Formats: sequence, C-alpha cells, structure tokens
Amino acid sequence: MSDTQFDTYEVFHQKKKGDPHIHVGAVHAPDPQTALQYARDQFARRLACVSLWVVNSRDITATDYQDERFFSMVLDKSYRDPKDFDAPLKETNV
Amino acid sequence: MNSQVTAEDQLARFEERVARGEKVEPGDWMPDEYRKSLIRMIGQHAHSEIVGQLPEGKWIPYAPGFRRKLTLIAKVQDEAGHGQLLYRAAETLGKSREEMLEELLAGKAKYANVFNYPTPSWADVGVIGWLVDMAAVVNQTMLQQTSFGPYARAMKRICYEESFHIKQGYDLVATLAKGTPEQKAMVQGAIDRWWYPTLMMSGPPDNLSAHTLQSLKWRIKTKTNEQVRQEYVDLIVPQIRALGLTIPDRDLKYDEKSEHWSYTQPDWEELKRVVNGDGPMNKERLAVRRKAHEDGRWVREALAAKRKEVAA
Amino acid sequence: MSTSDGIPTQALETLLLALADDELMLGHRNAEWTGYAPLIEEDIAFSNIAQDELGHSLAWFTLYQQLSNKKPDSLAFEREWSDYTCCRFVTYPKGDFAYTVVRQYLFDEAEQVRLRAFSLSPYEPIRDVSAKILREEAYHLMHSQGLIERLGDATEESHRRMQAALNDAFPQALGMFEALEGEDELISSGIFGGNAKLRDEWLGRVQPVLENATLLIPGAPADFGGRKRNHVEYLQQLVDDLQSVYKIAPGAKW
Repeated sequence: MSDTQFDTYEVFHQKKKGDPHIHVGAVHAPDPQTALQYARDQFARRLACVSLWVVNSRDITATDYQDERFFSMVLDKSYRDPKDFDAPLKETNV
Repeated sequence: MNSQVTAEDQLARFEERVARGEKVEPGDWMPDEYRKSLIRMIGQHAHSEIVGQLPEGKWIPYAPGFRRKLTLIAKVQDEAGHGQLLYRAAETLGKSREEMLEELLAGKAKYANVFNYPTPSWADVGVIGWLVDMAAVVNQTMLQQTSFGPYARAMKRICYEESFHIKQGYDLVATLAKGTPEQKAMVQGAIDRWWYPTLMMSGPPDNLSAHTLQSLKWRIKTKTNEQVRQEYVDLIVPQIRALGLTIPDRDLKYDEKSEHWSYTQPDWEELKRVVNGDGPMNKERLAVRRKAHEDGRWVREALAAKRKEVAA
Repeated sequence: MSTSDGIPTQALETLLLALADDELMLGHRNAEWTGYAPLIEEDIAFSNIAQDELGHSLAWFTLYQQLSNKKPDSLAFEREWSDYTCCRFVTYPKGDFAYTVVRQYLFDEAEQVRLRAFSLSPYEPIRDVSAKILREEAYHLMHSQGLIERLGDATEESHRRMQAALNDAFPQALGMFEALEGEDELISSGIFGGNAKLRDEWLGRVQPVLENATLLIPGAPADFGGRKRNHVEYLQQLVDDLQSVYKIAPGAKW
C-alpha cells in the first residue's frame, strides 16, 4: 500500500525586520498552519528569525529555464543602466 | 532561433555550461543519466542521514550529564533535518520522498555503509561525531561545488551544521582521552573500531570507469574517492595523535615528499559484503526504520484525512 | 524554616525539585522519539520539545542550586530513583504517538497555569525563570493542541487511539496536581495559589479542547504518589538508563 504524500510548502525566512524573505527549503505538511510549525522547527531552530512564509509549492508560477527568450535583451538597453552615464555622482548601491 | 534543437546539441550545450561552472537547476534540460545519477546519489545521501540517526540515537537515554544529553539530541535531530533537506533536493528532480523512503525500507536503496556498524560504547558517540562527520564534511565540502543547484545549496547549510557535529565529537573524545583510565580505554577502543570503517566512507579506489569520468565531467563530483579519502586522513591523523590516542595502522607514516600521510587501505571485500547487506547491523537498522514507519502510518493517514476534511 | 523576607525556603526547595524532576523525565521520554517519529518533520519537532523540556529542568535545578549549593548534574544524575519527586505521569513509557501527544498536551496546559501563577510570585528568581519558560511553552502548546485537534476525530483509528490514550493519561495527569509537602506555606507566602487551584484552572482549559476533538474525559481517580516519592517501577528503569554512563565514573568529567 502506498503511503501518504503530503503537500509540500516552500519556506521563506526573514532574518530580521527590514531584510527580504529568502527561500530556504520546503517542508511536507498536511496544512499551511502545520507547515509553519514544521518550518520553524526545521529552518529557525538555529538561525535568527522574525518571520516565516509558507507557500504551497503548487501555487508557485515560475518561468521556464529552457525559454531563455523570456529574459533576452538583444537590442541595446544601455540607456537605462547607470553605469553607462558619465556623471560625477556616486551610484546608489543595489 | 531554431526551436528544433537536436539531442546532441542539447547535450553539447549542457556540457559546455557545466564545464564553465554554471549550475543546473531542476527545470533545466539535463541528460537522463545526469538526472538518474543525482536522484540516486542524493537519495542515498538522504537515507544515510535518516539511518545515521540510529547508531548515535541509541545513546540519547544514557548520555551522561545535561550538556551531553542536550547536545546529542540536537545532533541526531540535525541528521533528521539533513535528511529532510536532501530528500527535498532529490524531489525537485521528480521523485517523491515517499517513493524514496519505500525503496529504503524495501532494501532496494543503499545508504552509507558506516552506519551498519554497532555502537557498543558511549565513546562511539564522540568518535562518530568527530571521525565519521569529518570524513563526511570533506566529501560534502566537495559537493558544495556540485553542478546541481539544489544539492549544492543543501550542502552549504549541512556543512555549517556538521561543524557543530565535529566540534562536539572532538570535545567528547578529548574529554575521555584526558579522563580516567577507564574512559581513556573506552575512547581508544572506539577509535580502533571506527578507523577502517571511516576510511571506507569515501568509497573504493576509483577504477576511473566511464561512470566516474562522467560524474567528474558533469561536475556531479569534483574529486575522486582517493582524493577525498587522502584529505580526510591528512586532516584527522595529526589531531588523533595530538590527543595521545593511537591509530590501528602500523604502516601509517608521513611522506615528506608528497606531504601526505600514507596509510593501509581498508579491506574492500568487507565493504562489498557490508554494502550488500551482510554487515553487523544491516538487518537491525532496516527493521527499526520499518517499524517506526509502520507505527507512524496511522498518524500520517489521519493528518492527510483531516486536511481533506478541512479543504472540503 | 524560612528566610527573613518571608519566603519558606524548604517548601520552595520542594517545589523547585518537583518542577525540575517533572521536566527532566518528560524531556527524557520525548527524546525517545528522536529517530522514530511518524514523519521527519515531527521527528525534528519532538526533538526540539525534548531539548526545551530538558532545558527547563536545568533552569529549575540551577535555581535550586542557589538555595542548596548542589549541582544540576548531580541532582539529575546521582540521586536514587526513589528520591525524585516528579509526578508519576511523566515517568510512564512513551507509548504510541497518541499517548505521547495526549500526555504532551495535558502537560503543556499544566505548564501554562502553573507558570502563569509563578510569574506573579513575590519571589523574584522563580518569577523570572517562569516568564522565560513560558515564552518557549507557547509554541509547545500550539504544537500539541494542533495535534489533538487534528488527530482526535480524523479517522476511526486515530479517534480510537486518541481516546485510549486519554483514558490512560487523564487520571495520570491529575497526578501533576498532587499537593506538595509544605504547600500551605507556599500558598500563605503568596508563591502560588496551590495545586487544587491550578487543577481547576487546568480543567477549565483542557475540557473544551478535548470535547472539541470529540474526546471524552474519563472519570477515573487521580494517579497520585509521585510527589511523596511513591513511584511506579517505570521510573526505576528510566533512572537506570539516565544514569548508566554517568555512574561508570561518577564525579568524572564526561
């Protein structure tokens, strides 16, 4: 008899307020609330953490690595790159 | 651009990207053999963590003192955590955790041979933490460079936690080595028993088969078994000696010219026997895992049923 | 015996040891799931809880040490099994996962009522430790109550197992509220309102949750004895295990 395979939830971890949530892994869980608890035990038992998000893996819509055209910029777009301008100003760090 | 790319073109482009050090992600095109190798390799690695909970976990009830007891629970817990991360990395290639677990329980999947040895003394906890995890870290540090992105990412976090494992293991061994004669004998006995099994961990000498060459070419691995083993030996030998403990290999010596320790190879026939199921603890390890899995089935079923009810 | 500030020292020591012993034994039992839980995520969760309970035990022993000058490791690892004053409830074998979950939930609710009471106590050290432990306990309760709610009526088997577990665990759990030696002094000095009061508050919390999970509370009488060192033999085995390595060279560094 095949066993139960729960849904998987992708886990996003925020180290401190002001930081972005970063994808750190996924947990198997029967529901979102339980997924949050499991995420806490697995991903926040050592690292500092102020917030966790869990998202059912099915609910993520992603681009396709094989469709490189999605991100291709063939023609010159240097006009919107700060590096392309010669001005005596410091670039804002990104 | 022509969308009808031939399989040969795809393979050539894949190999070119990997050779440049680019990572491969789950949705990427990859050769079937690459996918299969990684599912097998990551799955075995995950199984090793889960089965690897047992030899040390046995000592949790007996750990002497609060600090050792807490540390050991945290360490064995990390192994469950590593198994969790690794199963997930393998799942991104299209095989479910349940399928992998069922293969393990059916005896169809392999795991690290070292966990088929018994742990008769408390000192084994220290020696596993220090030696076994040191050998594992040398391998895993190499695997941080693996071409498959999810595996490399899992390895970063795992290596960080393994450094806790090694330090607590060293601390335990060092404490016993400086302790009463009984404690010292206990820890020397453990080193004697674990030396050769840990040498076997990186696998038999590479015959440079087509398979190994392909793993290296695709950067699944970036070092040969011999290289990994030599790194482990060079690291651990001086440290063991510094504690006044001996290594059960009379031919062990430092070669000034190569700047490496030369050592006696373990009994590779023994490895074959153990890997194929005839080690001292194979049957028990799997029987224990099977029982835990069966005992927990009603819980998983109930949680899944409740989920459906909530969703309905 | 009491100090000049009206704190009954001996009764306080009795209380601290009972708290420390309860957490020690339950932490030990929970850690028996490490490697054996129904799914990997629960394995990690129970290992966390085991570490927390042992950590709480250590915190209570450390507080006791300030009064008695005895080290936590000697208190936990050198006493005779018949010297511990944990309630019997925490000494029973871990049973199936249903028993573990039910015991954990009933214990977590007791922690809520007793720690809240102590965090209002006039004795500052017990107040501080209680407040700290309460912060970790909030998560324990969320976890165990979540499992009660999910497993109580999910399937025929889960209901049957959870009800059987409650039938065993409930009378044992009442044993957590067995009166301590010197409890009257603790009450009159305002350290807490006494175990009978705690029990009533606890009942008020657990009854609706259990009912909601379709579990019936059995009528069996409380399983008292532990606070008076009248233990069941399971504790002897537990303590043999707990101390087996430590006793090879007592007093040595491990």
